[in-house]
Amino acid sequence: MATGRRGAKADRSEDRIGRNDQPPDGCTITPVPDDPEIEVPYRRSVPLISTEGSTMTLLLTARTPAPTLPKHTSAAASARGATKIYGRGDTEVVALDHVDVDFATGQLTAIMGPSGSGKSTLMHCMAGLDRLTAGSVTIGDLDISSASEKQLTILRRDRLGFVFQAFNLVPTLTAIENITLPMDLAGTRPDRAWVESVIDTVGLSHRLKHRPSELSGGQQQRVAVARALASRPQIIFADEPTGNLDSTAGAEILAFMRHAVRDLGQTIVMVTHDPVAASYADRVVFLTDGRIVDELTDPTPDAVLDQMRRLTN
Amino acid sequence: MPRLTVKNLWANKVRFALTTFGVTLAVSFIVSAFVLGDGLRASFEKVSEEIASGVDLEVRNVADLGDAPPLAIGTVPTVAAVEGVDKAVADIEAADNAVRPIKADGSTISTNGPPQLAFNWIEDDQLSAFRLVEGSPPRVGQFTIDVDSAAKHGFVIGHTYKVMTPKGTVELALSGTSSFGSENATLGAVLMQMNTAQAGELFAIDGVNAIKVKVASGADTAAVQARVRDAVRATAPTVEVVDNAAVLAETTSDFTQEIDIIGNILLGFGGVALFVSLFIIYNTFAIVIGQRTRELALLRTVGAGPAQIRRSVLGEALGVGVLASVIGIGTGVVMAQGLEALFGAMGAQPVAHPTILASRTVIAALVIGVGATMLAAVGPARRAATIPPVAALTGRSESVRLGSRARTASALALVGAGVLAGVGGLAGVGPAAVTVGGTAFGAIAVFLGVTLLSPLAVRGVTALFGWPLHRAAGVAGRLARNNAARNPRRTATTAAALMVGLALVSTALIVGESVKATIGTTYTQSVKADYFLTDNLREVRFPAALAAKIREAEHVTAATGLTYLEARVQGMAAGNAKKQVVGLDFAQVGALLDLGIESGGFDTRVANPVVVSTSEASAIGAKVGDVLTIELPNRSRIQTTVVGLFDNQTVVAQDYLLDNSVLDHAGVAQAPEWLAVSFADAAPPSAIDTLVAELARELPYAQVETAAQFGKRRQALVDNILTMVSIMVALAVIIALIGIANTLALSVFERTRELGLIRAVGMTRRQLRRMVRLEAALVATFGSTIGVGLGLVFGSGVVAALPASFASGISVPVSQIAVLMLVAGVAGVIAAWFPARRAGRLDVLEAIAM
Ligand SMILES: Nc1ncnc2c1ncn2[C@@H]1O[C@H](COP(=O)(O)OP(=O)(O)OP(=O)(O)O)[C@@H](O)[C@H]1O
Ligand SMILES: [Mg+2]
Repeated sequence: MATGRRGAKADRSEDRIGRNDQPPDGCTITPVPDDPEIEVPYRRSVPLISTEGSTMTLLLTARTPAPTLPKHTSAAASARGATKIYGRGDTEVVALDHVDVDFATGQLTAIMGPSGSGKSTLMHCMAGLDRLTAGSVTIGDLDISSASEKQLTILRRDRLGFVFQAFNLVPTLTAIENITLPMDLAGTRPDRAWVESVIDTVGLSHRLKHRPSELSGGQQQRVAVARALASRPQIIFADEPTGNLDSTAGAEILAFMRHAVRDLGQTIVMVTHDPVAASYADRVVFLTDGRIVDELTDPTPDAVLDQMRRLTN
Repeated sequence: MPRLTVKNLWANKVRFALTTFGVTLAVSFIVSAFVLGDGLRASFEKVSEEIASGVDLEVRNVADLGDAPPLAIGTVPTVAAVEGVDKAVADIEAADNAVRPIKADGSTISTNGPPQLAFNWIEDDQLSAFRLVEGSPPRVGQFTIDVDSAAKHGFVIGHTYKVMTPKGTVELALSGTSSFGSENATLGAVLMQMNTAQAGELFAIDGVNAIKVKVASGADTAAVQARVRDAVRATAPTVEVVDNAAVLAETTSDFTQEIDIIGNILLGFGGVALFVSLFIIYNTFAIVIGQRTRELALLRTVGAGPAQIRRSVLGEALGVGVLASVIGIGTGVVMAQGLEALFGAMGAQPVAHPTILASRTVIAALVIGVGATMLAAVGPARRAATIPPVAALTGRSESVRLGSRARTASALALVGAGVLAGVGGLAGVGPAAVTVGGTAFGAIAVFLGVTLLSPLAVRGVTALFGWPLHRAAGVAGRLARNNAARNPRRTATTAAALMVGLALVSTALIVGESVKATIGTTYTQSVKADYFLTDNLREVRFPAALAAKIREAEHVTAATGLTYLEARVQGMAAGNAKKQVVGLDFAQVGALLDLGIESGGFDTRVANPVVVSTSEASAIGAKVGDVLTIELPNRSRIQTTVVGLFDNQTVVAQDYLLDNSVLDHAGVAQAPEWLAVSFADAAPPSAIDTLVAELARELPYAQVETAAQFGKRRQALVDNILTMVSIMVALAVIIALIGIANTLALSVFERTRELGLIRAVGMTRRQLRRMVRLEAALVATFGSTIGVGLGLVFGSGVVAALPASFASGISVPVSQIAVLMLVAGVAGVIAAWFPARRAGRLDVLEAIAM
């Protein structure tokens, strides 16, 4: 983060403004564009997303045709008997041990568990970035266990979205180029109205021509979320998306994700260590030693914390 | 620290192996030049020793102008009679290619370079260079030929062959075969021997070229040398008497001149390879150190001093340099042997000799290879030493700084100095060494300066060429363009090697094309003759009466021979300068050549007329009517009168044209090197055929060509030189491409994480490979664009410096240069094959987890 100081500073000042109006639960977004010429209705730092998140919905629905993702509760992705073994003999590590899990469409699911419990491994295998040793993974109606490398690439490009903990953006591309990258790779035309509404939602309209090095860490993650949303994937995988951010910036990202799920019908699976982050989810899945040991629906931070304590003991 | 140096070398072995390639190649050329030269020189010293050791003294004429005149035949007995002389024999040698054998089937021998020579047979093993192999020595009416030529061209002892001589074709019987020294070290030449009584007549030499003397045993050689000199001075004032050491040195240097040419070419190749390699070594070290910033900073935090860091990096350079040089020495020796095999295949049979790897060769190779590598690493080492310990925390920051003002200023200074040196060198002030040195220094300085400046152009050029890429290849094209532009310095240095190669080749192409165009247009314009009579070998002279004889033929309207002579010109501001003058027939030339008469004309009413070029006339301040004294090779001085000034020196490059009557007056024989002939418009083709057939019978080596063919052949000479230059440049380009491959491989490694990310969000392997290849194409295009630009400038400079008779104006072979740039781009793509494959194979998960 040696470069792009200016962007970082500007963002931090916004954060401070936001913090003043912060409600106790910390779920506030404060996109205050530097550029006064850009007409943004929520320039004042009004808490936009309460639990209902209505302001943003209004904004989005005003700009775009109604979100098209169907809202039903069938599984967007599921794993059956998912087993992943690293190494051989003495060094053998069972990272996933016969995991059966479904991620429902239109839900934000959090995966939690102690370090080394297999969270990332599960996510990578579900997202076609890694292959299982045994078992199967289905994305929608496609069994990806037998898909070729090329099919997996195209699946990732056209049907999945990603947000990583860090280093999410291609440094030589501007923010907007990063956002449309999957569609550019596919050679398809982005749905402009949709992309614009996503950009507005994450409050990046005045930063579109900037390179990642000129953006703060929080802004970079926002671009990453915008990219994941822009191609309207069937499911978004996020591995500790807020792990590198302070609580305010993290709260913003989490609020976006929940908004995308609640109001736009997006499906998101997120790995996190943070009970507060997990509390944004519709459901929390707990992993220990490569096995799903428990789950919570509509969690609160306290409930998650309790559960974690119980698991580690 | 030393342990760290070794570890770093080992960790980066692939990239350093690629880096060493250029140095290895450069060292190979240098070593092969030395090894080949030393080996051949040693063997020729042996041959010289063998063929000349029996000659204690040699008596011969020296001459200020032209070839030394022969000694009178009577000088031989005079020398023989001197006290202390055991034996004195005549040595008669025909001019190069003046005497040539004709094969049984009537065809002539083509040696592709080496001359065909004829000598008198000397009946003394110690004084003669030749040994009889088979048959008997030549009697009058007979000849012998060297044993290899006999075998190669099917000459059989006892048969009678036609032999072409300056006096016409004669028939001689082959009495035997001979060997030049014991191993017949002819280097591809054809060597014949005739009987001494007949040699002078056959070779058109009135007397003897030299007298070889054996001193009586017990006599003091120096005293005999002095006595011989005194004895012959009376009759031949310009005579000199040299001893065995001088003869040996001359014989060896006759041989080694050719070796030196080959050696210089190899050294030239080595120099270009070395220069180009410097960029690649520099780049590799710069990138590797950029990637190790964090690690080096960590070393600094735990207490390593800047000097230690610097030494560690230079230590790596030392390791790379030593390795590259040692491999280069090995491959150089192999290359020398390969080159010899090649010469053997081309007919220039080398003599068997041991491979000599002199300690001088090894030292030179090590100094050059190691020195160059370390020189290139000095900058990166200095930068490594200035990495602050705090960088360990902040990590590596890719330097995108374009350049300080100091850098720009020094770059401009380099370019300025280079241009000055180049212009000075090309203007041809001083000896050839100054010209070559000045031009080479100028070119190197300009290359370095432009390399320092070129990062400023990276963004613009890649945007220009990247735009169509983006259009055609989508995101892969855009990413390729962005990657090429992200670190302008790296791109510029990577492209620099290719820039040098393409600058050299486009300079050569432009100069070549300009010369060819001049030959093609001005040349054919100034030629009015229908046919040229030339010889396919160098320096041959046609019989003096040939032009007159051709003029007698039916339908011939005009014909003249052109005789080239060395002369001294005195009067006006000419200052007794040595000049080549041309003798031709003033009465005929008007119908044959349009030499662009400015004033006066080819006037034969004045006695001893001379026509002078306008450039020379203005240089010496002469005009029509002025009198110049011209001294010809036979020392006669003729008062000539300027009757005209001519402007077009395309066909005849010399400044002074003399009427043949001047030569006759001076008693200098006409010996035309070529003849121009015109036929009447109404001449039936059969008349021409008849003449050609007759000439072919009498002068089998003569070549009758139309003006257009004559011009084409001269253009072909230019093409030969271009081929030579192209080989040199191909080398530079190969090294440059390896440089591109190396840099890209390093960049791919450096961007592993980013590539993993792009793959994770859906870039296919194919798109990724395409992206890397397109980046290479862009880097290559950047290099070739600047290279061709420099080539245009260099080419214009050289063309401007050349006399108008060589190149009257600049012409650019646009299509060839366009093809060249395309090839460079495609070659860049090929160079990226390996890095692209590596990028494609990248494990997405590992990459993003980095
Ligand atoms: N490439 C690999 N080779 C060998 N073992 C591995 C590899 N990747 C992960 N593991 C092991 O698999 C297990 C699960 O790892 P995983 O990265 O999924 O854990 P995680 O839950 O994401 O942990 P964290 O919270 O620390 O990120 C660990 O024990 C880890 O050591
Ligand atoms: Mg993890």
